[in-house]
Amino acid sequence: MRTDHALFLRALSALLAYPDSELRAALPEIDTTVRNTRDLKTRTRDELLALLDELSRSDALEAEAHFVDVFDRGRSTSLNLFEHIHGDGRERGSAMLDLRQRYLEAGLEPSGNELPDHLPVLLEYLSCRDGAETRETLGDCAHILRAIGNRLLHRRSHYAAVFTALLELAHADGLDPHARVPAPENLDISWEERPAFANDRAPPCRPADFRR
Amino acid sequence: MSHFLDRLRYFSQRREPFSAGLGEVRAENRQWEDGYRNRWQHDKIVRSTHGVNCTGSCSWKIYVKGGVVTWETQQTDYPRTRAGMPNHEPRGCSRGASYSWYLYSANRLKYPMVRGRLLRRWREVRKTMAPLDAWAALMADPQAKDYKPVRGLGGFVRATWDEALEIVAAANVHTVKRHGPDRVIGFSPIPAMSMVSYAAGTRYLSLIGGTLLSFYDWYCDLPPSSPQTWGEQTDVPESADWYNAAYIIAWGSNVPQTRTPDAHFFVEARYNGTRVVAVTPDYAEVAKLSDLWLHPKQGTDAALAMAMGHVVLREFFLDRQCDYFQAYCRRYTDLPLLVTLRHDGERWIPDRYLRASDFADALGSPGHAEWKTVGFDASGRLVVPQGAIGFRWPGQDSEDRGKWNLEQKAADGMLVELNLSQIDRCDDALDVAFPYFGGTPHEHFPHNTQDGDVLLRRVPVRRVATRDGDCMVATVFDLLCAHYGLDRGLGGTCAKSYDDNLPYTPTWQQAITGVSAEHAIAVARAFAETAEKTHGRSMVIIGAGMNHWFHQDMNYRSIINILMLCGTIGVSGGGWAHYVGQEKLRPQTGWTALAFALDWIRPPRQMNGTSFFYAHSDQWRYEKLDVEELLSPLAPRGKYGHSLIDCNVRAERMGWLPSAPQLARNPLEVAREAAQSGIDPRDYVADALQSGKLHMACEDPDDPANFPRNLFIWRSNLFGSSGKGHEYFLRHFLGTRHGLQGKDLGEEGGRKPEEVTWHAQAPEGKLDLVVTLDFRMSTSCLYSDIVLPTASWYEKNDLNTSDMHPFIHPLSAAVDPVWESKSDWEIFKAVAKRFSELAQGQLGVERDVVLTPIMHDTAGELAQPFDVRDWKKGECAFVPGVTAPAITVVERDYPATYARFTSLGPLMDKLGNGGKGIAWNTEEEVRGLGGLNYLVEDGPAKGRPRIVSDIDAAETILHLAPETNGQVAIKAWEALSHITGRVHRHLAEAREDEKIRYRDIQAQPRKIISSPTWSGIESEHVSYSAGWTNVNELIPWRTLSGRQQFYQDHAWLRDFGEGFALYRPPIDTRSVAALHGKRPNGNPELTLNFITPHQKWGIHSTYTDNLIMLTLSRGGPIVWLSEADAKRGGIVDNDWIELFNINGAITARAVVSQRVQEGMVMMYHAQEKIVNVPGSEITGMRGGIHNSVTRTVLKPTHMVGGYAQLSWGFNYYGTVGSNRDEFVIVRKMASVDWMDRVQREQRQNASARGNAT
Repeated sequence: MRTDHALFLRALSALLAYPDSELRAALPEIDTTVRNTRDLKTRTRDELLALLDELSRSDALEAEAHFVDVFDRGRSTSLNLFEHIHGDGRERGSAMLDLRQRYLEAGLEPSGNELPDHLPVLLEYLSCRDGAETRETLGDCAHILRAIGNRLLHRRSHYAAVFTALLELAHADGLDPHARVPAPENLDISWEERPAFANDRAPPCRPADFRR
Repeated sequence: MSHFLDRLRYFSQRREPFSAGLGEVRAENRQWEDGYRNRWQHDKIVRSTHGVNCTGSCSWKIYVKGGVVTWETQQTDYPRTRAGMPNHEPRGCSRGASYSWYLYSANRLKYPMVRGRLLRRWREVRKTMAPLDAWAALMADPQAKDYKPVRGLGGFVRATWDEALEIVAAANVHTVKRHGPDRVIGFSPIPAMSMVSYAAGTRYLSLIGGTLLSFYDWYCDLPPSSPQTWGEQTDVPESADWYNAAYIIAWGSNVPQTRTPDAHFFVEARYNGTRVVAVTPDYAEVAKLSDLWLHPKQGTDAALAMAMGHVVLREFFLDRQCDYFQAYCRRYTDLPLLVTLRHDGERWIPDRYLRASDFADALGSPGHAEWKTVGFDASGRLVVPQGAIGFRWPGQDSEDRGKWNLEQKAADGMLVELNLSQIDRCDDALDVAFPYFGGTPHEHFPHNTQDGDVLLRRVPVRRVATRDGDCMVATVFDLLCAHYGLDRGLGGTCAKSYDDNLPYTPTWQQAITGVSAEHAIAVARAFAETAEKTHGRSMVIIGAGMNHWFHQDMNYRSIINILMLCGTIGVSGGGWAHYVGQEKLRPQTGWTALAFALDWIRPPRQMNGTSFFYAHSDQWRYEKLDVEELLSPLAPRGKYGHSLIDCNVRAERMGWLPSAPQLARNPLEVAREAAQSGIDPRDYVADALQSGKLHMACEDPDDPANFPRNLFIWRSNLFGSSGKGHEYFLRHFLGTRHGLQGKDLGEEGGRKPEEVTWHAQAPEGKLDLVVTLDFRMSTSCLYSDIVLPTASWYEKNDLNTSDMHPFIHPLSAAVDPVWESKSDWEIFKAVAKRFSELAQGQLGVERDVVLTPIMHDTAGELAQPFDVRDWKKGECAFVPGVTAPAITVVERDYPATYARFTSLGPLMDKLGNGGKGIAWNTEEEVRGLGGLNYLVEDGPAKGRPRIVSDIDAAETILHLAPETNGQVAIKAWEALSHITGRVHRHLAEAREDEKIRYRDIQAQPRKIISSPTWSGIESEHVSYSAGWTNVNELIPWRTLSGRQQFYQDHAWLRDFGEGFALYRPPIDTRSVAALHGKRPNGNPELTLNFITPHQKWGIHSTYTDNLIMLTLSRGGPIVWLSEADAKRGGIVDNDWIELFNINGAITARAVVSQRVQEGMVMMYHAQEKIVNVPGSEITGMRGGIHNSVTRTVLKPTHMVGGYAQLSWGFNYYGTVGSNRDEFVIVRKMASVDWMDRVQREQRQNASARGNAT
């Protein structure tokens, strides 16, 4: 199914893969795919081409080290989507299973050693599905894609381009270069729990309330 | 009117409300519940546990669904204890319950990684060269070292397993060939928690001749007081035995926080009526569970314990003689033994134990007479009681065979009752001198000035006629009473009442500890009273809070004295319960064969970690403590020099401590030269060392010839958690950016060591290759060159035991290792394979000269009975194994390393197995294992039992060990019977046919079988309790006297003032003054004692990067300080503060709490510097870990060897990495810099520096 849609998703999936020699050898192919993709904003295409350009021009080991720094370490730009939804919660296991089930139902047997929620895995799956499902699925996780993308922008990484493209596919709002990545000194505020009974004027809980 | 007919009789109304209308019964579709049911559905449950640092050893159910680990819950199927006792389960805590997070976390290591800069160089040279030549070329090129200064600055790239393994193997082969096998080093701690994983690395290293580093002493969890007192590393009761205690003092041990799964026994004991006292400087969690909380100033506990000992002696030994205590002490302690007194001017000084060899006729017991202690019996006769170490190693036909026991008999077989005191028969009462350290001023600790630093106390003495003329002697008991300052009506200075301010009265201690005299008296009295009434069921649970001080021995021994006086040791419900980091590897003798490759080559190269790191991270170059400061005022001046490393070097060459690297040359070359010269290599080395042609490496640790070259770290976070002197490690060991603020002795113009060569230019980056195996990106990984992703604890098969309970249970693979990770066993197996391939044509069958110190529990421990003599100074001859290290030449078949790794070698059949001085034939077990694991069909190990998988390795351990193979247990007990002359096999008879296999323990944890490796037993009648077999089976303690020793008579212990336990204030580390007020940021600077207690939200650094635990705490590094100090420093809760001294700096948040005593800060051990650590205002780098403000300081008494129980053993004795005497400057930070975008720049800057050098 070498549709435009499929090829483009495969290209995006590949761009988020480890930039080893195999991937570097395929960069021209990806480049062609990106250039040939219709319905892509020019600016998005340019950004993707800039990423491709960087990958092909930069020193191989430097590119790999950058990938490791960005995606193999820490959770803020992790490519495992559930890291951003469930984090350490117990729901994560069953969420991964559900996703795996979805792949199986589509006749796709997960091989390789990445988890089902690894973004390149999901993109490859979507490349085998129709555009509607892509739009819907990416739409569902647009807020995560946006958060990761914004953090990449903040770190001045060209990888942000992939997320811009994905949001575009989802018909969702794009990245925000001015998005506030919470400063470490504001960590407390972002983690602060809301008081359980903040509103003093709320009527007190009565047994009668439960009977209705 | 009746309402009878209004009511339904056989029905109720369906929607009848109840509970005043709050409830109603409905019948409706309950399908929604399936959502929950499905959520908790799973395909299988696998038994595993958490496998390195935690002593908990809790069995867990791991739930797997669709090949994904979903969660874990506690196992509840431990075998029941027995009637009348609570059960072990539930075991587990919040940390373990969050472990599955690690499996799929963003911090998980997924692929082998190599430092990019190293890989670039490697690939470049590898284009044209074979692997070995490539590594040699890299090492020869100074430009190529540019990967060292960027250690810790990121820059990793993924590599394939093949490539990573090739680099590791090439580096190892090159290092073995070029520098010597002992330059390949391995560090891994706490084998008990995953013994196969530990053994994987040590087996590989032992086969190639690499050096294994000890951890227990380095972690400062080893209490040297235990080997000193009992000749045993550490043996303690299981936690269930707390329930049997009638009185418990939890002293510096925070049970609910650090022994969470066991704490229920602590609470249940209280329900059972046990009185519980907590002694902690802070209001620790344990305090709230206790009836009484005493809070001495941190680091002064020994003063309180001495005062309590004073009360016990006064009230239970002098005012009144308690029968139970008297009988116990006579039989099981050295109190009745005699000590000679040396005349020194007007005074007398306690010298050494009187020995049988002091008498012309050796008192009728000539075999090893210099190792037999002497006492007076009730009739006033001088006797040689059985059981001294001289009876332990009799010759073939010696009359001493079967007399190493604690029967109340003399060597001639006569029954004897020894006398504790000679006060009724004394020839004289002499003024005996005791050192006193409690008057030493310390800027931050109170002292109690007395009449000088020598105390004269009157002691009843006897005159005995020895070979060398008349000699004054006294019993240990009489000396002890005088030392404690007790009045016995002999006149002189002594305490007439508890109110006298004299050492060591309750009033005296109050000035030092702040604990009221009344409390000290009341607790001591109640503790002893309880022990008297219950025959010893009083217990002290003792922990890191006591053990991590420089003078830890004094903390411990002053408490152990009370325990011994009260007859509690060896009694169920009594004794000492030290739970700090040791963790009993129960099937030990089955495991040592596998782990140290004793089946192929003996001896292995083992090294004490602390001395190694002190020398090789160059912490000695900055030493501020003068040996003279530690000496007793009674010791000869000038004899010891000034430098701690000098003492260590002397200890190494006298055969006391091991060395690594050993010789200043490649031992393979030395062996080759010896062969060419036609002289026996052992004589060749001995001659060369003596003549000075050959040197030991320890004399010049900064010479590149003596650098450690390759380091493996596995199951450990050496750089991020346990590396005392972190910044020294960074600078000298690794050669990267560091936050060191101090100057070395050269820069300062300090006094240099005498025994060690000084290089003006300190080496930086001694290590050529650092390889770390981990499942997460720890701080150690960050500083490594190659990081290998290892299987997590739910992805491998292994064994786990603990000292907290008597069970053995497994780690099992719930799922295959995720991503590209492999188990430690598979990784080292793969390294061995690649090593063997690359060794072809480079290394063949080589002979290797191995030096070994004089080892405890071998006949060699009868080495140096009297004075200390140094062959290098011409004080004695060089006799390997007696006055110097033993020299062995072993053969290594390097290309066969893999074949040997994966099979059980022939030395088990030939030499047998054993441990702790007992040996037995093990041919039958080797045959049995061949049947279980099958035999190797071909190659260099043809016909040997296979050890290919991790389960094969587990079966090997289980099958060879007495604890898991009943038949072996019987053999072991019978072997011991030959030495003790007593029958012991009944202890294991009931389980003779039992063989515990790996699949058995997967089904349920199994209770181990009693074996002579341990001093407690497993039975239906008694909980595991240390010393039980000494007391009940009359097996001697493995000490000089065969008894528990109050007195340490080795010359170094006496000269350093520790013949008897006493109080010594913390040392002055001099790490604050040079910086105080010198680098102002506008905020006040406080000088506070730096204390590092065990964590609540992690097990050391594990779990501290786990989001759940971070959320439960404050999400980053925190430091606790008192309200008073916070106020002085203008600090409020949650402020960012910096802690610094000349060793380095830490940034953290302040937790201001009433819990903390003024004058100290607490930083939990250990919080990773990879999580939320801002930049330091002092170093200009990211803040460090807790060890950034510490530096190791060695204690000479821990170097002693060649002397009965004070002989070396791996993780048994040696210098320890204490760190609680340290002070820091605490200051609120003026600005918080997260240094977010600077890593790449740093890397580039470092590269510029790297290229420049």
